[in-house]
Amino acid sequence: MTTAVARATRRRLGVDLAGSINLIGSLLKYFSLAFVFPVVVALWYGETPVPFLVAGAISAAVGGGLELVSRGKERIGAREGYLVVALLWLLVPAVSALPYLLASEAQLSRPIDAYFEAMSGLTTTGSSVLTDIEGVDRSLIMWRQFTQWVGGVGVIVLAIAVLQRLRVGGRHLLQTEAPGPEFDSLAETVRDTSKRFVVLYIVLTLAQLGILVLFGLTGVDERMDFFEALAHTFATIPTGGFGIHARSVEEFAPATQWVIALFMFVAGINFALMYRSVFRRTLRPFGRDEEFRFYCAFAALGSLILFLELVTEDIASGTAALRHAVFNTVSMMTTTGFASTDFNLWTPLAALTLVALMFVSASAGSTAGSIKVIRHVAIFKVLRRELDQTLHPELVSPLRINRRVIDERALRGVVAFALLYVGTFALGSIALLIEGARVDAELGVFEAIAASATTIGNVGPGFGFAGPMGSFEPFSDVAKAIMVALMWIGRLEIIPVVVLFTRSYWRN
Amino acid sequence: MLGAGQVGTTIVEALHDEHDLTVIDTHAERLSALAHRFDVRVVEGNGTSRRVLQEAGVGLADLLIACTSRDEANIVAALFAKKIAPDTRTILRTTDVEYLEIWRERQLDVDFIVSSELEAAHAVSQVIGVPAARQTDVFANGQVQIVEFDVAEKADPEVVGPLLREARVPVDSKVAGIIRGGEMRLPRGGERILPGDRVIVIGSPRAAREWSEVMAGRIERVRDVAIFGAGRIGTAVARVLLEEDLAVRMIEADKERALLVAEALPRARVFNATGIDPEFLDRERIGAAKAAVFAMRDDAKNYYAATLAKLHGVELTIAIVHDTVSMEVFERAGVDIAINPRALTAEEIVRFAHDPRTQQVAMLEGDRFEILDITVRESSELVNRPFRDLPMTGSLIGAIVRDGTALFPRGDDVLLAGDRAILFAESSRVPEVERAL
Repeated sequence: MTTAVARATRRRLGVDLAGSINLIGSLLKYFSLAFVFPVVVALWYGETPVPFLVAGAISAAVGGGLELVSRGKERIGAREGYLVVALLWLLVPAVSALPYLLASEAQLSRPIDAYFEAMSGLTTTGSSVLTDIEGVDRSLIMWRQFTQWVGGVGVIVLAIAVLQRLRVGGRHLLQTEAPGPEFDSLAETVRDTSKRFVVLYIVLTLAQLGILVLFGLTGVDERMDFFEALAHTFATIPTGGFGIHARSVEEFAPATQWVIALFMFVAGINFALMYRSVFRRTLRPFGRDEEFRFYCAFAALGSLILFLELVTEDIASGTAALRHAVFNTVSMMTTTGFASTDFNLWTPLAALTLVALMFVSASAGSTAGSIKVIRHVAIFKVLRRELDQTLHPELVSPLRINRRVIDERALRGVVAFALLYVGTFALGSIALLIEGARVDAELGVFEAIAASATTIGNVGPGFGFAGPMGSFEPFSDVAKAIMVALMWIGRLEIIPVVVLFTRSYWRN
Repeated sequence: MLGAGQVGTTIVEALHDEHDLTVIDTHAERLSALAHRFDVRVVEGNGTSRRVLQEAGVGLADLLIACTSRDEANIVAALFAKKIAPDTRTILRTTDVEYLEIWRERQLDVDFIVSSELEAAHAVSQVIGVPAARQTDVFANGQVQIVEFDVAEKADPEVVGPLLREARVPVDSKVAGIIRGGEMRLPRGGERILPGDRVIVIGSPRAAREWSEVMAGRIERVRDVAIFGAGRIGTAVARVLLEEDLAVRMIEADKERALLVAEALPRARVFNATGIDPEFLDRERIGAAKAAVFAMRDDAKNYYAATLAKLHGVELTIAIVHDTVSMEVFERAGVDIAINPRALTAEEIVRFAHDPRTQQVAMLEGDRFEILDITVRESSELVNRPFRDLPMTGSLIGAIVRDGTALFPRGDDVLLAGDRAILFAESSRVPEVERAL
């Protein structure tokens, strides 16, 4: 009787669960290799490698086990892609949190804190529950930075290959790169498209690392050594934003801050665009790309507003004002989350600008989170056309981006995504506010909004106690759980998660 | 020749005197009608069949003209002909601009290709450039323009009325012919242009515009054009006009077609509407367009829409005509210009089929007059003689192109060997003129 029911359920299920589990297991098994790096760091600094070895072993064992129970189901399709992506981004943070729990680090000894920190790292958010960062073991700190870099690789694959093929939020047609053949085997196409962008990612990482190390060696920045350079590069290229000092990157030399700002900006460019430019040895694709032009324009506008505000309000002056304006604009836009100064203390207008920039965000096809410039461009054009068609009802007006006609379904996807994004953000803000009131936290409306925006947008710092020099530690466990969910949903661009909660997804 | 339809018939009409023609068509009636009128050999059969082509004697022909209305048939026949007789030159008529592009990339093995759509589009663009003109044609990379005007009552009295030798004719232009009451008159100094005449002018593009003002008073340049019907011709017209930086609005009744064209032509504003809805015309202020082109499939519909557009205030209406008979109806009924793509195609093909020295030919008044572009032989008796001494036997040299530059000769200029003479002649005199030069 029970087996008959089970069989009937299985037959009605439209998703190949075994296949999905198999792929998750396999990826988890590969992820265990990531633990080799902190083991090396630990040995180098004479710290214990045991937490990483154990975590790696668990990761490999769980992965291998999942693979084993679902053997023979290696081929999965688009539908399973949603499930794999969503579950993977829950499971990988779980195993990544293990070293935090296993090491005798008091600040991360509670599971929710460890999971928050791991989720924040892997979604390249950069919000931290640490209060005394400088007191943490070097190997553990480097692991925390490294989760951002690894998470960035995952995001590259996710943004460029997976979400595009899953047609999330109109992405498939917004990409400058024409999508390949329809997915018969998701894994194969993902592998092909991802490979070259990961190479670019590694090249960018080496470039920034080289420059920062050089700054240290030549005395441009006294505080910069190899450890610092690597730790910050690991948080810049994936637009992560974990700092390893209480005051983010404030104490570094201006030259270092400019370099970090530059690489944040570069990391926010569409990787496909960069790849094409490098491949063809010409800068022309940049000039012709609408998203890139608007990305630059938004960055310039944000910087200008902040610069004027800083100067007129006597917060900073001259090149320092310019540096803070540009650095923090780029940091917020690219959803990195470093701070060159405590912008928590700036004026309300400046704070509002920074939160607004979290929603602008950078290019599709980069590691940035949030809505992305190209969706803003598309929505702007949809609205403009709507007005035009109100006056001219018979007008036939296909919408173009980069001179290519955009499919109406993709546009609907874009609009739907933006609405879902803003809706989820609003729900998150309300939930945080209610929870804040319940536990009597020091959380105003603006702080709640900023916290919701910063986590769903995978940015990092908020305002109030969770500001760039502060910590998310004071939030209650429930609030942390809400923000973990927001980081997770935001990173996956909402739709893959929401889809899992629809009945039609599971139905055959 | 393949095809005895409208285009084929027009070509036969122009070429039958000079050439031995064999016409292939699947319709027996068409062929017999043609054989009655002209001295041509006819073969009934499918031109895409190699056997039929061989029977018709393609192997011995100098030239194959494939001018049916079916692109594929034309291409197949032309390719077969090339295989059967590699020395045979081939001319292809196509309705698809894409084949023209392929030919220009040398991917299609034919010698010459003519697209009705493009011919029509260029004709429209020339008319819009010189608004008062009935018909215009350009030569020598646009340096020389040939324009046909109807002389209106309000025309400039300094040009219309006085003796030609005293009239203030725009610089760099020549009156090539005056047609009064269906009769052609040679524009000697003692002749005059009168209202109601039709005149043919050869001159520089600037002179052509000046003539346009002479004939119709000062006219604003057209900047905004409405095109009704986004079919192949309408789209080709839009493409050409957009290239000239005109604002183009297109009106297409078929929703899918409208979307397709809107996607293909980013700079055109495309409306999904019938052109005969007065409310739509009002709302979109179609009347504000200086010119409107009617390129819908049905002549009668074009006629109706053109009349309606006139009522809404469109100044210049240009209709694309599919049936030769409609041509007269349109002109009588007050549509400003009627353009027949098939006639233009025939013209273009005839240009190529003519004497190789003769580069381009335009036909005026149906096919009664031709404009020729002839390179003057060294052995010509007319070489080195001043223009005033040249005989005027039903023809007139309007311009010469010397070393790539257009000149508009005066009486004491001298004709040189190697000059390209652009001249106006009665069709019946063309062979005579060709021999003389």
